Amino acid sequence: MSAAPRTSRELAETVLEVMRTRRVVRRFTDEPVSEADVRAVLEAGRWATTGGNRHVHRFLVVRDPAVIRLVKLMSPGMLNAPTALIVVCLDLEQSEQQQVPVERHDSVWIDVGTAAMNMMVVAHALGLGSCPVTSYSRSGVSTLLDLPETVVPQLFVLLGHPARHRRQLRTGASTRLSVDDLTYWEHYGQRTTA
Amino acid sequence: MAGQELTVSEEQAFELLAHLVASAELCITEPYYYGTFRLIDAASKLAGFLLAGPGDGSREWLEHFKTEVDAKKEWMMWDREGYFDFLRAASGDVAGELKRRVGRPPLGTADGAGTSR
Repeated sequence: MSAAPRTSRELAETVLEVMRTRRVVRRFTDEPVSEADVRAVLEAGRWATTGGNRHVHRFLVVRDPAVIRLVKLMSPGMLNAPTALIVVCLDLEQSEQQQVPVERHDSVWIDVGTAAMNMMVVAHALGLGSCPVTSYSRSGVSTLLDLPETVVPQLFVLLGHPARHRRQLRTGASTRLSVDDLTYWEHYGQRTTA
Repeated sequence: MAGQELTVSEEQAFELLAHLVASAELCITEPYYYGTFRLIDAASKLAGFLLAGPGDGSREWLEHFKTEVDAKKEWMMWDREGYFDFLRAASGDVAGELKRRVGRPPLGTADGAGTSR
């Protein structure tokens, strides 16, 4: 990365550049992720927005390859094994203490996404690959990881050093929505700012 | 038909069992086309087990099939129509290999040359 940005515009461009160049990575080398890098990723998750500053989620880091392999067996969405796995968990005891009824508070699920996104952006800035996964057996993973009954695994962030891989796509198959595709101004359906 | 016995290790069998059971659970909530992805992914795992065995009656075909599945299954996320076309073609490819294994020529020609679909 270039020299530290000096203005807010430069800072924004630096952050945007990290966001623009991040891609989901599903293939990893065997090289372990350093603890310092895992901690930096966790720090990013900790600083994510959380509804009412309640922090009803907890992160479980798994680095034992044997345990990761077991988790992968019950996780059809985990196409390849990472070298580190962060399980974003909902702690029902925390949510009860914070008086957050999980069935009525969308912020509980939104907070999972904000934490995961922060983590993946910082992972990319560190040169790591990452991938969010929600396609796993909740009961299977809870059993494998000996999670307490009051802890629900909500999302995995797979971490690792990216393996070289060239995605094969048909010509013209890739579509990427632009800001204008996604945005209306003032009224839903209005494409122009005027 | 070539009938070479296949030995699947307990570890391999449990890998497939876990994948199928977890996939069945996920099918409760995920879009239907994810279910197709889980099945073709299971087929790739099974092809891998076959390739790890001693049989050589379909080795070349299996290697090609598994490579193609692993490359194109992910189209489900970016190119769904292409992915569906691939699934349709994959069934034809398997059927063609089944015919070849029992000594029947592929459709389309009397001497076996030509397309397998």
